[in-house]
Amino acid sequence: MRISNNLKRLFGMGLVLILSACDSYLDVNENPNNPEDAPISGLMINGTYESAYNVYRIGDIAANYVQYLASPNQASASDTMEPISNNTAWFRLYNVMTDLVVLVEKAEEQGATHYQGAAQVLIALNLGMGVDIFGDMPFSESFNFETVTPAYDSDSSLYDIIMINLDQGIANLQTSTTASLGSDDFIYGGDVDKWLAFANFLKARFMIHLKDVDGYNASEILSSIDNAFTSNDDNAKVDFFEQSINPWSQVARNNANLVLGGWISEQFIEALDGTSYSTVDPRLPLMVGATDDGEYIGTVNGAGRGDAPEQGARSTLVEGQYYTSPGSPVLIGTFSEMKFIEAEAAFDVNKSRSYQAYLDGIVAHMEMLEVPQEEIDAYLASTEVSMGEGAFTIDDIFKEKWIALFLHPETWNDARRYDYQYKNMTLPANLNPNLNGEYIRRLPYPDSETSRNGNNVPSVTLLDRIFWDTE
Amino acid sequence: MRNIFIAIIAIMCIQASWGQMISGTVSDTNGEPLPGVTIVVSGTSRGATTNFDGEYSISASSGDILQFTYIGMKAKTVTVSNQSVINIVLEEDSEQLDEVIVTAFGISQEKKALGYAAQSIDAEAITQTKQTNIVNALQGQVAGVQITNSGGAPGQSARIIIRGINSLDPSADNQPLFVVDGVPIDNSTVESGGTPRGLSNRASDINPNDIESMSVLKGAAATALYGVRAANGAVIITTKKGKAGQVNINVNTSVGFEELNRLPELQGQYGQGFSGEYDPTSFWPSWGAPISEVAASEPGHKYQDNWNRAFDTGVQTDHSISVSGGSENATFYGSFGRFDQKGIIPFSDWARTSAKISGNVKLNEKFDFNGSINYTNSGGNRVPHDRFMERMMYWAETQDVRDYINEDGTMRTYGNTNPIYDARFSTYEDDVNRVIGNLNFNYSPWEWITLSYRIGTDFYSDMRTEITPGPKGIDGENALSSTGFIEETRINSKDITSNFYITLQKDWSEDLNTTLRLGNDIFQRKYDRVTLRGEDYVIPDFFNVNNTRQVFNSQGKSIRRLVGFYGDLMVNYKDYLYLNVTGRNDISSTLPKDNNSFFYPSVNLGYVFSENFDMPTWFTFGKLRASWAQVGKDTNPHILGSTFVSPDVFPLNGEVGFSRNSTFGDPALKPELTTSIEVGAQLSFFQSRLDLDVTYYKSNAEDQIIPVPISDGTGFSSYITNAGEIENSGFEFVLGGDIIKNENFQWTATANLSMNDNEIKSIREGIDEIVVGTQFGYAGSTTTMKLIEGDAYGNLYGTSYQRFGAAEDATTLDRNLPLVIGSNGFPERNAEQLILGNAVPKWIGGLRNMFSYKNFELSFLVDFRADVEQYNQFDNFLSAFGKNDYTLARNDFRVFDGVLADGSVNTQEVWLGQGTGPDGEDYGAGFWRNYYRGVTENFVQDASYVKLRNISLAYNLSSNTLDRLPFKSFRVSLAANNIILYSPWDGFDPESFSAGAGGNAVGFTGLGFPGTQSYYLTFNFGL
Repeated sequence: MRISNNLKRLFGMGLVLILSACDSYLDVNENPNNPEDAPISGLMINGTYESAYNVYRIGDIAANYVQYLASPNQASASDTMEPISNNTAWFRLYNVMTDLVVLVEKAEEQGATHYQGAAQVLIALNLGMGVDIFGDMPFSESFNFETVTPAYDSDSSLYDIIMINLDQGIANLQTSTTASLGSDDFIYGGDVDKWLAFANFLKARFMIHLKDVDGYNASEILSSIDNAFTSNDDNAKVDFFEQSINPWSQVARNNANLVLGGWISEQFIEALDGTSYSTVDPRLPLMVGATDDGEYIGTVNGAGRGDAPEQGARSTLVEGQYYTSPGSPVLIGTFSEMKFIEAEAAFDVNKSRSYQAYLDGIVAHMEMLEVPQEEIDAYLASTEVSMGEGAFTIDDIFKEKWIALFLHPETWNDARRYDYQYKNMTLPANLNPNLNGEYIRRLPYPDSETSRNGNNVPSVTLLDRIFWDTE
Repeated sequence: MRNIFIAIIAIMCIQASWGQMISGTVSDTNGEPLPGVTIVVSGTSRGATTNFDGEYSISASSGDILQFTYIGMKAKTVTVSNQSVINIVLEEDSEQLDEVIVTAFGISQEKKALGYAAQSIDAEAITQTKQTNIVNALQGQVAGVQITNSGGAPGQSARIIIRGINSLDPSADNQPLFVVDGVPIDNSTVESGGTPRGLSNRASDINPNDIESMSVLKGAAATALYGVRAANGAVIITTKKGKAGQVNINVNTSVGFEELNRLPELQGQYGQGFSGEYDPTSFWPSWGAPISEVAASEPGHKYQDNWNRAFDTGVQTDHSISVSGGSENATFYGSFGRFDQKGIIPFSDWARTSAKISGNVKLNEKFDFNGSINYTNSGGNRVPHDRFMERMMYWAETQDVRDYINEDGTMRTYGNTNPIYDARFSTYEDDVNRVIGNLNFNYSPWEWITLSYRIGTDFYSDMRTEITPGPKGIDGENALSSTGFIEETRINSKDITSNFYITLQKDWSEDLNTTLRLGNDIFQRKYDRVTLRGEDYVIPDFFNVNNTRQVFNSQGKSIRRLVGFYGDLMVNYKDYLYLNVTGRNDISSTLPKDNNSFFYPSVNLGYVFSENFDMPTWFTFGKLRASWAQVGKDTNPHILGSTFVSPDVFPLNGEVGFSRNSTFGDPALKPELTTSIEVGAQLSFFQSRLDLDVTYYKSNAEDQIIPVPISDGTGFSSYITNAGEIENSGFEFVLGGDIIKNENFQWTATANLSMNDNEIKSIREGIDEIVVGTQFGYAGSTTTMKLIEGDAYGNLYGTSYQRFGAAEDATTLDRNLPLVIGSNGFPERNAEQLILGNAVPKWIGGLRNMFSYKNFELSFLVDFRADVEQYNQFDNFLSAFGKNDYTLARNDFRVFDGVLADGSVNTQEVWLGQGTGPDGEDYGAGFWRNYYRGVTENFVQDASYVKLRNISLAYNLSSNTLDRLPFKSFRVSLAANNIILYSPWDGFDPESFSAGAGGNAVGFTGLGFPGTQSYYLTFNFGL
């Protein structure tokens, strides 16, 4: 009996020993590849890079709707305004906003107010880009992982959040910080004054969207503009990299390799080559490529290339120009865009400021493209361009802004506010019949979202408008 | 120490001095001596075994009972009287009934005693298939086991699924555990990044010539002892061992040839160009003018028959030699093998060199140990087969595809990239060095207890080099890449398995005996992968990372540990009732600490009613069996919680960014649980001339650990948590017969048939679907494999033609309804995603026949699968480029069968060609490009087949001839493999699929390496 008791005790002790040894033996699950924490600097690097990339991604979605580009294929869904599931853009917007929310929290803990402020500005940028194309989106139930099916906030309430982020960002950027932005800031390389200007610029951009909404206040926009960019030097942009070339440059390169894309819409060519307007725009050869015969020939949206071969017969993006060099910047916000916002905001309250801003906007864009001064002068000398304050209309602002924001997603916001009234702009061939002969007003929610959060996703058609897009 | 020695001597002396010495010979009914027969003096621990000549000697007293036992023979007992010589003849046991099956941990058990279905195939059935990959050798031979070749490339992986797919996780490994001589080995398939290259599943490192038998453990009851790693079943491989007696040398040499086994139906009438117009520089390969028309003005212009000429005749050689032998107390087996293969796509090859040595030493009656070590070097050049086939699609049928290179080494082309040039210079070579070893110790201090310990290792390194050259700097060249690159990948994997168990045996009475096993099992896998990539060569064609302008690198490593404790009780009552109860507790490093220990039991019962009741004489044997079992499952290492990742794009300008990982692993994750039941019967009639085995099973995998796709709005995209349930149920039938059995002629046949039903019982509230994979199709004909609650695994979704009278909420396409024809006279397209087919075959089966007549043997193996659809991407491309036979209808008028929107019959005639038709209408790019290629329905096709998997004819030299030759045996055989007898499929071999063995998206052909058929001549000598 005693032996058996001792045996039991021994066995028990053995078991305890084995189990405790087991415990440490099995404690090897910490991830050896991905850290559990990341430095705010690393989050800022990715945050600035991905925000710029999102500008490209949404610009790419919108480029055919605003007829910068046209598909080489007949009745391509991007041209004909069919519902396209933009899973990637949706994912990327949330992915970078997630990182920025984490960055804000960490920076706040560390007292790194400049990181906090810059992250808030970038949240506003990405959220704004999302709301402008998707409308209602999840946000107040996002990022904290309390639910896997977050509810949707209304687009107008999200605009309030955008403004709050911009205001808080401005305040934080003006507070002394425990850590300074530097080369981890791909947009401004740590120049806080430029961040402040950028935050004010974004306020102006989002406020001008509200022009037809109650509570719109032109003077608020103009005072934001007074604190925003002062020249092209302040442009918010990310210059691309040897290791990761400019995405539009990649489109041009792919097209040259017969992965077709980046074909220029006939609409855009004709607006600049003297067809729709009598003045020939000196920027055309700096922005798009010519045919083998040295001509500029566009492709009709929705019609495809018809009999034209894959190469040499139509204008396309070509590598090496301002927008398409491997190291070209992706432009997030420019001095030129700001001038056109100013022109639009001032139009009803201070027409001479408006007219001057319009002219400055053209010059700013031309200088950015390094158009020779004599060609700038010649263009400005055309009465079609410098029509004088009296003859100057809102149409002129939208026309020049459309050119100056080539490939930029903001143009689609303009186009919808302007009801696509660009001169000679026509509906694409083979238009999606469900649009009843009208232009697209928004994107559908992506399939990834409807399949994962279907009960919350609002039911919309492509003719439903974002709240600022009044009829 | 000295005392122990004395004690041992003393014990030996006692044994030696016991009673009288008895000796004799043991032989079979033919008088052949039987080596290795165990002789035990009943009720004592004294025993002996026969030597190579069947001789034995043992000490026993008068009145002692000697038991003679030998696997496959009926045991015999003899009572010792005064004689000193006892010669024994053992009779063969009816082979099927007492078939021995190697079960978990390498334990040999009589099939009769099992309470679950198990099937095994022997060395002959393995080598006869002429398969280099042991997974393929199982094809068609085992009920419930589905083997799919991922393609015809040398060394390309094959996938094995037992009783259906058990996980909702699209990236889960649903394949069984592979165990060699008691040690689990790695059978993963690590595919290439970038374009598919068709890599090997690691089990193909095993030389099939070394295998003695493979048994397949299908259900949870059979694999309960292996625990989590065998949740999808197990393939238990036993390698050849040396036998006591003379040294045996066996030499095997084989040569084989292979060729494409099937081509789609292609057209050879129209050549390069578009809209029916000839253009020798056009990208479009086959929408041009009739070839005969152009040939009239262009000498040499002809249909080049590229699809037949682009492929080589593949060559395989296989040589192996084995040496085995030993004495009563020690045996050995050694082998060396070399296999070489050149595939049908030019420049594809694979080779395997393997060496193995194993030995078994019996120190004394109480202690024996054995071990083996197996070294393999394998690898080859993996051509970019998917791109090869894609470029074949684009290549003009009037341009000679074989004329691919200029004298200066640049590509010769009219514009498009030549597929053969790409296959030659875009290389991807893998070089695997692998060592698998094991050591086993058995110590039996008393008759009733055995202590066993086994340690096994599986270490390999996989070195891969991918090279794509950049421009050579020659004017006017067409380079494969504008920069070129080199990528070096180094994979190191180390598995260690340790298994200790105690076996306790007790005969409670004549009628009741029990065996209890208690054990501990530890497993560890360390894995490390490092990639180094250089882009943009400074000096052309100098392939070294140092010679590149941009360098990228990455690393991924992991470690997984498992500790298991198990118990296994077997009860045998009167040799007709067998009860087996098991329990196992696993602790896994991959789960949260609070939930990482989990227990699961199993119980199974076998009832041999034919031994309990008197049966008619024709009823030889009958057993009913039933089992209930659970098995837990852990997850992948390092997935819990949230982490940050540095996206691949960094560093940029020396800066490294971080982003929160979009996957979140539930910190409260718990193990998955699969519960299965199985009932079956094993019946045998007419003195075992006819055997039938029937099984029904059902398994439910609950609390699945799956990456649930969640709204990106949460801040994550994927949430790894316990959710969902999947159910598999089905029947298996195995029918075997010795149809003719006389001296000169024998005919035996075995057939198996299985049916599996799968249902996704649930996913997670609010989550509608899980996407397993998608495959591109032109103009909206992309297909998607999705998992949706209530559906079966493997449903393929896509676009279809609009159907008249289809229900509003129909989720499945009804192909029998009439088409809706639009006002333009062409069929209307339905962009909504409907179920078009299912890629998991419902029925699989095989039939093996063996005939022997005097010295000739003929055998063939036929297998089939039915009720299965697949997405034919080849067909999609061929129709887009006007290459398949049916696009000959390009200048025809047609009235499409169908009805208008109002239900009235369509009567409008339309033209199918491109451009302006004879009727003056503009038809654009024509029917095939504008309509046909853009509808997924057209390309989801019946992928059933019946295949003559193998047929072989062998001749064995008779013994009188052999007497005059220096051989013990000589055999020559001719074989042919993989001949498709029937398939409704239009295209290459429907078995090939693009995901590779590691993937679950089986329903997509991709543009993968086409299937082949092969012919072999084999010589086998025994020395």
